Amino acid sequence: MKQITLLSLLIVSVLMGRSQSNNLPPVDKSPMDMCYYPGNYPVLKIQDKVTEPLVARVIYSRPQKNGRLIFGELVEYGKVWRLGANEATEIEFFRGVKIGDKKVEKGRYTLYAIPTEENWTMILNKDNDTWGAFKYDEQKDVLRITVPVQKLNEGVEAMAMTFEKSESGCNLIIAWDNIKASLPISLK
Amino acid sequence: MTKLASIFLGCMVVVACTNTEKNSDQTEKKPDTAIVHTPPANPYSTIDLSPMDMSYFPVNYSQRKMTHDIATPPVMRVIYSRPHRQGRTIFGNLLKYGERWRLGANEASEIEFFQNVTIQDKKVNAGSYVIYCIPYKDKWTIILNNDLYTWGLKIDSTKDIMQFDIPIKKTSTDFEYFTMVFQPASNGAELVMAWDDTEGRLPINF
Repeated sequence: MKQITLLSLLIVSVLMGRSQSNNLPPVDKSPMDMCYYPGNYPVLKIQDKVTEPLVARVIYSRPQKNGRLIFGELVEYGKVWRLGANEATEIEFFRGVKIGDKKVEKGRYTLYAIPTEENWTMILNKDNDTWGAFKYDEQKDVLRITVPVQKLNEGVEAMAMTFEKSESGCNLIIAWDNIKASLPISLK
Repeated sequence: MTKLASIFLGCMVVVACTNTEKNSDQTEKKPDTAIVHTPPANPYSTIDLSPMDMSYFPVNYSQRKMTHDIATPPVMRVIYSRPHRQGRTIFGNLLKYGERWRLGANEASEIEFFQNVTIQDKKVNAGSYVIYCIPYKDKWTIILNNDLYTWGLKIDSTKDIMQFDIPIKKTSTDFEYFTMVFQPASNGAELVMAWDDTEGRLPINF
């Protein structure tokens, strides 16, 4: 009897797990996330392990593959893609950096990409606090840079972004499904 | 022997029924959501158990900007992570009265004002702040702090810059996920902070 009660509780929990029964916002299907360079900066900070100042932070939402074919299908080749879900993806630089041969001033930018089969054109744009790429305005571009894509052996279910250290600074890695691209950021 | 067995069985039924009643009562009031599916591993970054979220004022600013419904800059936004209750009692239990609470999970919650605002007659300059709370049984103290880009578990209170006491109230429905959202109010907006059966509202004037 107790087992049945527990079982029904389990079922109720599963059914009710994600809903929020009031008029305030439910949890997003594509949850938001944040990444930093240096990686895990806030955790390093509280552990007194920071060795270099905060350079960049990305705020993005993470769509899931859910069995769909992503590149060339859900994300169409040759069209501006918001590199995430929901709100447009945002990158903030806490100091001046260089991308390609262009200087980028400290500040907040919106990040887009135009994917093709072989490469992605990454776009840094000055029109912030917007939704997706639906109102993308080329006039407000700060820069564009084309980077090659890499095929991954292991599929990535939830779109992921992370920074890795490079010789000249860091790379912003963007991975989803079986594709990975990398935006080089120079600190020199 | 048969008698003993039937008495035993009888007891079992009574116990079971009491359990059922008690549990179904709890189910009605507080669905137990202790089953959390651990997000699958991700070679670059695993999805957080307490997902991050962002709220703007004006409400749904970015969607409204996209549909050309709004041309003025946003007033403020809050970025926070959303822990879920998972059947736990939150206030006075998971969150101890009188102790600092990060108003979220993971990273310290961050509020950004894109213009100067006034809170309880104090001027707050445009900029980003860490926002956290000290909950009490009958009120919350909301604190703005300058120690940005930190993890919520270790807030440096020497960098507190302002604090505001706000009343709290019981909510009519329960909140499984901690929720922060702005709602329009006279002379500005309120930052609504709700979890479990309790909510607090910080009035922000501009």
